[in-house]
Amino acid sequence: MLSFLLIILAATFFTGIIIRTKSIASGRKGPGIFQPIKDVIRLFKKGAVYSETSSFVFQIAPTIYFSSVFVAMLVVPFGQSKGLISFNGDFIFFAYVLGLGKFFSIIGAMDTGSSFEGMGASREALYSMFVEPAFFILMGSLALMTGHTSFQEIFSTLHLGSSITYALGVLAGVVFLMIAMIENSRMPLDDPKTHLELTMVHEVMILDNSGFDLGLILTAGYLKFAIYGAIIFNLFSGTIAYEYAIPMFIAMQIFLAFCVGMIESFMARFRMNHNAQFIVVLSSVSLLIFFGALLVSGKFI
Amino acid sequence: MVELINLSWIIALLAIVTLRFVPANFKANVAAIAVVANSIVTSWLAIFALSGQIISFTFYGGEIFGDIIIRIDQLSAWFILIINFTCITGVFYGSGYLKAYDNSAKKLSLHWILFVLFQLSMVWVCMIQNGFAFLIAWEIMSLSSMMLVIFDTHNPKTLKAGINYLVQMHISVVFLTIGFIWVYFQTGSFSFDTFTTYFGSNSNIWLFLVFFVGFGLKAGFIPFHSWLPHAHPAAPSHVSGVMSGVIVKLGIYGIFRIISYLKSDYLLLGEILISISVLTGLYGILNAAVHRDFKRMLAYCTIENIGIIGIGIGIGLIGLGNNSPILYYLGFGGALLHVLNHSLFKSLLFYSAGSVYQQTHTRDMEKLGGLIKSMPRTAVIFLIGAIAIGGMPPFNGFISEFLIYSGLIQGIQLHDMTQIILMVLTFAGLSIIGGLSILAFTKTFSTIFLGTQRQPLALKPHEVSIQMLVPQYIIIVAMLSVAIFPQVYLQVIGNILSGLTKSVVIPQPTEFANYISIMRSISLYSMLLVGVIICFWGIRVLALRGKSQVVGATWGCGYTAGTSKIQYTAKSFSKSLSKTFNFIVIERKQYEELQAGEIFPKDKKYTSHYHDFFEFRFIRIATNRLIYSANYFKFIQNGRIQSYVLYGIVFIVAIFILTFFNIVP
Repeated sequence: MLSFLLIILAATFFTGIIIRTKSIASGRKGPGIFQPIKDVIRLFKKGAVYSETSSFVFQIAPTIYFSSVFVAMLVVPFGQSKGLISFNGDFIFFAYVLGLGKFFSIIGAMDTGSSFEGMGASREALYSMFVEPAFFILMGSLALMTGHTSFQEIFSTLHLGSSITYALGVLAGVVFLMIAMIENSRMPLDDPKTHLELTMVHEVMILDNSGFDLGLILTAGYLKFAIYGAIIFNLFSGTIAYEYAIPMFIAMQIFLAFCVGMIESFMARFRMNHNAQFIVVLSSVSLLIFFGALLVSGKFI
Repeated sequence: MVELINLSWIIALLAIVTLRFVPANFKANVAAIAVVANSIVTSWLAIFALSGQIISFTFYGGEIFGDIIIRIDQLSAWFILIINFTCITGVFYGSGYLKAYDNSAKKLSLHWILFVLFQLSMVWVCMIQNGFAFLIAWEIMSLSSMMLVIFDTHNPKTLKAGINYLVQMHISVVFLTIGFIWVYFQTGSFSFDTFTTYFGSNSNIWLFLVFFVGFGLKAGFIPFHSWLPHAHPAAPSHVSGVMSGVIVKLGIYGIFRIISYLKSDYLLLGEILISISVLTGLYGILNAAVHRDFKRMLAYCTIENIGIIGIGIGIGLIGLGNNSPILYYLGFGGALLHVLNHSLFKSLLFYSAGSVYQQTHTRDMEKLGGLIKSMPRTAVIFLIGAIAIGGMPPFNGFISEFLIYSGLIQGIQLHDMTQIILMVLTFAGLSIIGGLSILAFTKTFSTIFLGTQRQPLALKPHEVSIQMLVPQYIIIVAMLSVAIFPQVYLQVIGNILSGLTKSVVIPQPTEFANYISIMRSISLYSMLLVGVIICFWGIRVLALRGKSQVVGATWGCGYTAGTSKIQYTAKSFSKSLSKTFNFIVIERKQYEELQAGEIFPKDKKYTSHYHDFFEFRFIRIATNRLIYSANYFKFIQNGRIQSYVLYGIVFIVAIFILTFFNIVP
């Protein structure tokens, strides 16, 4: 329950901080931190324009996408306190529920019959396919290291072993941050601020969405950032008491948003055909973590 | 009980005779009655077996067969029920699908006679426990399904696919025969029970591998899969649904049957099986993602799912080898449940794909588009099938895939490093399979059903008849029953597994009961997901009330004269994937370059095909060599009757001389 509230709280400022960091880094003052939320609220009040090519799929897709992110959010724990949904192997449920959302966001984009949106959909499908093994190898190694199989048990027993686990935690944190960047289509892979449809991934998929639906999609994006931020926080939280953990959580989310902003300010987008390689590198980092976990658990021969 | 077993073939025989004589428009009904009656009879037996009473009879089959044991244990019962369900939906769907052929009575009677025979032989394959009789039932099954595949006899491609299937099935039979004869020479009996003695005193590996090749050819493990992508598209859709849903599962049944007699070498066999299966899954879904013939795409997807089932079997074997009951239950349990699930959603997908084919007469998805407007029910059915086969909640695919995933996580906790690495790599492989199946099915669904029509069709497509829709709704209900009440199915599977292995009895561990309760909560959480969706949808409806909702053109980047041709195609959707994996999905293009000095270019043609890696690189080369060397013996078949008479005389003389000198007994 606690994680649920904190993630929603973090989602309200995460994207705002990214934008603010980028503005300051480029010498501008930039909008307020809550501007993205204000944008979404404005969108929620608007009517809608649908493409004449589209069918009901286009209309239900954003709702299902948002709901999938919402339910995935319920799985994420906060330190000692479980998520609302918690069972052995819940991270598989987490990944597959997000997969359902992705499925609908892709077919929603394809429903418009636009070549641009098809292009974005194809890329989104390809990249998220490449991300899967990184996430699963990572979670598998954490399960190997701790002997548990649910998010909450894995995270709360992660650091009881040795101090090497903190090093592995940092590596895992980097992998999760990159997964968050890919899932949200941020800078090294995709430029959300680009003006050319041919080079977009996620933005081009939602070109035809408007009003309430667009608001839902944007909110889902904010939530996703906060969800991955919460997972990264959990890698380090261990068994800290709540009065320290909650401020630490907020600080960590702000720090992550700052990191994302800095990466976006000082990095250029990769060439499209290099994206796949970059994402596969993530899987190899996860394999490194896996071998680290083998070492830690003393099963290395 | 023995009356029921006899009733099963008497019903089929009666139906076959009746089908010959009834008028064309009643043939489907007679076949449906026969299939349903036969299903009731055999399902009755199967339910008895599932409730714990193993039914067993012995027929005396004469000198050649010896005693034929007919035994329905729980494993057979599980498969019999799956066969019967799929055959019933298949026969009802097929009666709607083949309505257009009512004027060709001969073709229809042959088709339905074969269908009845097909079901009968499949059920009997699950019951017979005598090697020789098993092979005969197996052969009837292969032949009848081959004849069903070549329904469209005018099409040379269909015939070629049929012959391809026939040849590969006989290679399978060769391996199975070798296996049974091997055991026969060691033990002196064809009965399955003698496997226990064989495996007790000999190496387990080689015999298992012989049977694995034989049954794997049917199931479609790589590199034995190459008949599927030819036979499934060629067959009429209700036949492909039943073939893909059930007949490949009989390969899995065979593997399970052999495993139940194994006594040692579990670990090695498990590792072999799990490695082949991961590769099968990846290979199948990779090909499914690039192909544009939607029935061929579904056929490759079947290969993928066989891979997932195989992973489950591999985990189970490793569990046996490590004396870990929980791995045994999760692995084999996931495999058995996935057999059921796959038979449900794959037949659903084939039926809805068949509806599309019936209305548009093309299997090329690049020619379709926008069918969701003219065939909304079929579109929703296909969408449900696609979500389920991708293993996403809230449908049943997630339940079985979750079991297999759980098996893998449990396997990661083992102590041997090779096994841990294998498990983690399989874990990653399974997740790639999941990701790729999202890509493959979003591509197929959106190209066929979304956007606008890409090419003009001869006839305007309409929604198919209610007769074809109802069987598909029934399948969806069955799928939801697995998704909502997984504990019921898991308890049945738990009972099957506790009696599966002959050499050791593995009691159900308490962890498995925990997993059953986890499954129950997963189904609740899936319902929660549905609830959340409905809730947000309600909020959306409320928020949009009274607001302007305008319909306009798709945003075209300022270009307003877009046509349906500028839509993203299936080929371009998967192009970046196929480029990344171009060493496995082989693309061959044919086109003419613009020549130098060609001032007025003529119409150009560009075609590109994806080839099957194994077929293109190995099987094609091997068959070419074979045909080349067979050329040298062409002189034997010279068309002169005189020479043929001479061959006969030479043969008789040879036999005479050989017997005379006692070389042949």
